Amino acid sequence: MSNPNNVVVVAEQLQGDLQQITQELLGAARGLAEKLNTGVSCFLIGHNIMPLAEKLIHYGADEVIVVDDPQLKEYTTLTYRRAVIAILEHLKTPPPIVLMGATTIGRDLAPRIAAHLEVGLTADCTELDIGDYEHKGKADPSKTGTFNNILYAIRPSFGESLKARILGPWKNPQMATTRIGVMQALPVDTTRKGTVHKVPVTFQTDDFRVTVVKTVRDVSATVNLTGAKVIVSGGFGLGSADGFAVVRDLASVFKDSVVGASRRAVDSGWIPYAHQVGQTGKTVRPDIYIALGISGAIQHRVGMAHSKVIIAANKDADAPIFKFAHYGIVGDLYHIAPLLKKELAKMAREQGIKAGA
Amino acid sequence: MFKIIVFIKQVPDTSSKAGVNPDGTIDRARAKRMLNPFDRYALQKAIEIKRAYGAEVTCVTMGPPPAVEVLVEAFEHGADYGVLLTDKRIAASDTLATAYALHKVIHHLGEFDIILTGLQTTDGDTAQVGPQIAERLNIAQITYCEALSISGKKLSARRVVEGGHQELEVSMPVLITVANSATPLDYKRFADVAAVKEFLRQPQERERRIKTVSLDIIGADGTRTGLVGSPTVVGKTWKLGEIGGSCTLFQGESPEREVEELIGKLRADGKGVEELVNV
Ligand SMILES: Cc1cc2nc3c(=O)[nH]c(=O)nc-3n(C[C@H](O)[C@H](O)[C@H](O)COP(=O)(O)OP(=O)(O)OC[C@H]3O[C@@H](n4cnc5c(N)ncnc54)[C@H](O)[C@@H]3O)c2cc1C
Ligand SMILES: Nc1ncnc2c1ncn2[C@@H]1O[C@H](COP(=O)(O)O)[C@@H](O)[C@H]1O
Repeated sequence: MSNPNNVVVVAEQLQGDLQQITQELLGAARGLAEKLNTGVSCFLIGHNIMPLAEKLIHYGADEVIVVDDPQLKEYTTLTYRRAVIAILEHLKTPPPIVLMGATTIGRDLAPRIAAHLEVGLTADCTELDIGDYEHKGKADPSKTGTFNNILYAIRPSFGESLKARILGPWKNPQMATTRIGVMQALPVDTTRKGTVHKVPVTFQTDDFRVTVVKTVRDVSATVNLTGAKVIVSGGFGLGSADGFAVVRDLASVFKDSVVGASRRAVDSGWIPYAHQVGQTGKTVRPDIYIALGISGAIQHRVGMAHSKVIIAANKDADAPIFKFAHYGIVGDLYHIAPLLKKELAKMAREQGIKAGA
Repeated sequence: MFKIIVFIKQVPDTSSKAGVNPDGTIDRARAKRMLNPFDRYALQKAIEIKRAYGAEVTCVTMGPPPAVEVLVEAFEHGADYGVLLTDKRIAASDTLATAYALHKVIHHLGEFDIILTGLQTTDGDTAQVGPQIAERLNIAQITYCEALSISGKKLSARRVVEGGHQELEVSMPVLITVANSATPLDYKRFADVAAVKEFLRQPQERERRIKTVSLDIIGADGTRTGLVGSPTVVGKTWKLGEIGGSCTLFQGESPEREVEELIGKLRADGKGVEELVNV
């Protein structure tokens, strides 16, 4: 039935909605599976979720292993932990690789599974690969040796100035979580075929120590910093909370945009923390990042420097942001932002006319 | 009175240039040190609970001897006791090994009601240590906790999830990782800073407040910590290519002219910006 060497993805759904990260994980897993010449298994946990299994196959899974139980209707750490462990025990041999999302659910669940299994877990990966490794460390002779076809879990470290390759070849599964919006999903293929089977779970009373009173989903109130194509951010240079009106107004010229902020603007109480970009906020890589009145301190920079196009407006020509932005305008953001809005709209119109002609 | 344990960590200060090697790695011996900024929220939450419900707050840190500085800082904010776990054999522990050592500190300390941790650290940056401690202790956890209230032994909490939040209930003991969206950081120095300075000068009182422990004292197995006890290794590190761009700067003329030139350049560079704009 199940291939014991399959790369495993733990799917993520919230109240029956498959989360975007799952598709990204399946894309990453396929890449690894091809290098290992094996398949992809996906764990699907929840209640009344069977319809999702087929989608997972279209996204790249060869096999879906489902735990469906009324007690799993809402996500809780301990019940989902029990379900993942039930599947792993059912598989008998531990899979080589288990991937989860670096989401509020994945980061809640993955460390518990890893600690339970006493295996390594690399957080927040931005790249995954397969390769060989020779361990020469002498601290523990039992670890020395050469390991082939192991997981390279690659992640930024030290405030994103370095990349590190983390390895844990000694014991399976090698576990990793991946950052939202980084791994490439595959095109959906509705002709893909795969197998689906169920695994039962037996809960213990301890698994119900946390109860969900309710889950509130308010997509309109959430700030999709990691998903938006354009981010227009405001900093301390705005001078007041009211300044964000100018930021919002510029953002409105784009089709898919959200408002971001520097920590100084957030700490000043001008805008909620959910908008913060940077080391202690969100790491983002939109197609366009516009920074208004942001100096470009290292802690802000590490969160946005991988954006495709960075445009900065600052009245200080020596501001650090001009060291790494692609385009900069020296001047008062209160003059520049409205002009930018006007000119961008004009450009889009002209381009549209040309395309239509 | 509740017994609260807060895990806090001393991390290199990334905003200071001191101790940053040319290749971007941190020379921890030379780097400036600070309290992990995320742990301030955990500490603030502990002090809030102490003031609202009555609690004894013990801060625990694992690290080299200078890490005692973060315990002193915690006293100034109103913590009651501090524990420093320091031992040559914990160096280079990954999250699993760190969580193993820290859960042994909890065993050593005995009963507790709430464990608070920061969401993540700025150096390890994994958000894994908290849940891994909870797993070792076989207790419930609430991560990304934004708000909480207590009634008897029951704790109600709000937890962030993508696109919303969950409202949860749990009986103590519980481990909570505190989201920094919780409350804006306004923690003032609740304790009397002069009094803290004073007791630190008295060896007896200092000893009563700050315990320094080794792996042997807490009954931890040295083969399960440090490099030897870590299931992962760093295989290789490399510097990220110069991130960002070389900036084309528009300045000196009127804002109108600058913006016009910028748009012209964006167009010429063919960045496809126009496709993202509403028509
Ligand atoms: C541990 C740690 C973590 C941190 N994490 C983050 C993080 O996640 N995100 C983050 O952003 N920061 C973070 N910081 C803070 C960071 O170091 C900076 O303090 C912060 O980014 C500065 O915000 P700012 O650029 O808005 O403010 P400032 O540095 O005050 O810059 C304001 C800028 O606006 C310009 N300006 C003023 N008026 C105008 C005007 N009318 N028109 C145009 N320009 C104008 C000024 O020239 C100046 O360059 C962190 C710091 C630490 C120590
Ligand atoms: N060495 C340590 N000493 C005390 N607490 C720690 C240590 N390492 C991690 N923690 C706690 O675990 C949280 C998560 O850390 P991390 O998993 O490294 O991102 C931190 O915010 C701390 O509360």
